[in-house]
Amino acid sequence: MTNGYRASAGIMLAPAVSLIGVFILLPMLLTVWLSFNDWSTQTPFSEAHFVGLANFHDIFGPTSVGRDFKGALVNTAIYTALSVAIILPLSVLFGLLVHQRDVGGGTLLRTVLFSTYMVPMIAVALVWSKLYSPSEGPFNQMLGLVGVGPQPWLSSPRSALISIVLLNVWQQVGYFTVLAIAGLTQIPGSLYEAATLDGANRTEQFRYITLPLLRRTLLFSAVIAIINAVQVFEPVALITQGGPVGSTNVLTYHIRRVGIERAQGGLGSAMAVMLMLSLIVAVCALFAIMNRKDDE
Amino acid sequence: MSLAWTSKLALAAGLALLPGSAWAEAVNISYLTHWSPETVALLENAAKEYSKTHPDVTVTVRAVPFGDLLTTLRSQSGGSDGATIGGIYDLWLPELARDKLVAPAPEVVAAEVKGAWPAGVVSAASVGGALYGIPNEIDVYALNYNKDLFKQAGIEAAPGTWDEFRETAKKLTKKDAGQQGFGMINSWAAGVVHPFASLLVSNGGELVGDGKPVLDSKQAGETFELYEGLIKDGSSEPSMATADANTTGPFLDNFVSGKTGMIIMANWWESALKTGMGDKFANIATAPIPVGPSGDKPHSISYSWMTVVNAKAGEAEQKAAWDFLAWLNGAKSGQNGASAMSDILMSMGILPSRSSDIEAHKGKLGSEFLAGYVSVLSDARPFPVVPGGQEFSESLQQTLEALQYGQISAQEAQAKAQADAISILERAAK
Repeated sequence: MTNGYRASAGIMLAPAVSLIGVFILLPMLLTVWLSFNDWSTQTPFSEAHFVGLANFHDIFGPTSVGRDFKGALVNTAIYTALSVAIILPLSVLFGLLVHQRDVGGGTLLRTVLFSTYMVPMIAVALVWSKLYSPSEGPFNQMLGLVGVGPQPWLSSPRSALISIVLLNVWQQVGYFTVLAIAGLTQIPGSLYEAATLDGANRTEQFRYITLPLLRRTLLFSAVIAIINAVQVFEPVALITQGGPVGSTNVLTYHIRRVGIERAQGGLGSAMAVMLMLSLIVAVCALFAIMNRKDDE
Repeated sequence: MSLAWTSKLALAAGLALLPGSAWAEAVNISYLTHWSPETVALLENAAKEYSKTHPDVTVTVRAVPFGDLLTTLRSQSGGSDGATIGGIYDLWLPELARDKLVAPAPEVVAAEVKGAWPAGVVSAASVGGALYGIPNEIDVYALNYNKDLFKQAGIEAAPGTWDEFRETAKKLTKKDAGQQGFGMINSWAAGVVHPFASLLVSNGGELVGDGKPVLDSKQAGETFELYEGLIKDGSSEPSMATADANTTGPFLDNFVSGKTGMIIMANWWESALKTGMGDKFANIATAPIPVGPSGDKPHSISYSWMTVVNAKAGEAEQKAAWDFLAWLNGAKSGQNGASAMSDILMSMGILPSRSSDIEAHKGKLGSEFLAGYVSVLSDARPFPVVPGGQEFSESLQQTLEALQYGQISAQEAQAKAQADAISILERAAK
């Protein structure tokens, strides 16, 4: 009976597992294999030749290959950290605002917030590149009205990456607000009533009820936000081309430049493997921290 | 005649007719370019004209932004479904030919090109002695300046030397009005590197000599120092220099709106200037690149574009593509002995490279803006076309941008640029 059950389960799982194997695991293994080879993306796999760890040595070496990769890795890390650090608190804040039952217009606000997520990135890039324009951009005009001088935004290596982060926050925060609202609806109202009877104020209720019970939702949001941020590509490709001085050169854009434009498939694969490993380490670290908190 | 003999004759006749009937089949070819919609429309009109005499050949045109052109060529040319024809920058040819993405030109086309184009342009379209593309445009760099701003600053003539250039840039700079004397470009490899290379060759130097980078020369050092000086003088403001994927952006906006006094740019941006400036385009004049302390006379750099054919396309498509390109670039397809391609190029202010086209467009090439470019063409040095050239350009771009933003000194920039160039070109040559 048990064997029959296992066999039927195996048969039913086989199609899905096979598809995952062919379309996800196989490309991942192929990328890992190519990272140990010297290979032009314009030639068949049969022309790849094994070079051991040479590609990894190059991408962490002192030449321009290594310098550009390390720069892109740092840019991606900063972009990811800033995006997550801004999006998550903002999504909880907006979630709390929209979740208030005694405030009118909540549904409208929810729709407005989520609508930014549905706007295609090409439209966002076109509009935001003009908003950020140093000479005629509305942002600088608005700053001028309150006595602040024009800011370089995308034109300075010090502010270009942050400007791209702000664009990302604007576009993504609505989606994460919806996730936060979903989490808030799971918290029983009776807990707040009991806390109110015990004399807890709003801040204490947020700290001791809302935040702990929202932890699972925030963990999910953080993981998705990290994955989204690490994969940033369009705003860089459409607006800054990785500049100025490589300040917005993020890994996905750099891998495209190396692997496709320059056809250096081995080097590009080594960079992709490092990106994948970094992502795995970041997500695992996040889960480990959350599990430790749960244990405590 | 017996039935057997009749059958044999019919088979023989059928076989003899086969190639002819194959040509009579409809052939679809596609043309990938980075041109604007207006220019694409001109190319589509030319393709329709060609189809009148070649009803079995249909040419469709696809356009992508310049920033995506190489990626599109590389990612789609690997298969027979990619564009049959691609317009490419000569710097990309060595690697596209090495990776067998582009087909060598047939004998008859190669012979025509070798006889009708200047030898230097033919050489830029060849790899290992084999011709891979039909050259069309040639671009050269010169100094563009705003005559109104010159007048307001009391400057009578364009600078002829680097000392005059720095002095003029200082006089044109008005910080309070957000006006810079000389506009550099950033976030676009060619836009950063070509003006630098033009100043370098006008100072007697070069980027690559005998296949090896020579950025450690005295002339190169002086050019890095000129950049550093312009930034330190406050005559060039890097935050006004950004370009975007369409090679437009703040650097162009600032020049067309009269916030930048001078810029070093190629002839092809005539159409962008006209679009952005309207009647004020008449304020723009062209002058040779100022001569550096180690230079003898004004020089600048030139580069060319060509059309290539996808090596993975079918035999019939390749044959039709070469035939269309030979017609498009031939002396009979355009007006008054010019090629249809040159008519399209001239609509954008781009210099055609075919000798008979230059003759046919003599009148328009004498316009105030373009005449300045035509006059420097004979002393222009071709931008080095070497394997790894694009990566070399992008690396030099990073170094020059770091210098623009004051992140490194001129000496550090020179050492870094030379070290990176050696490593990139050595790796690409393997």
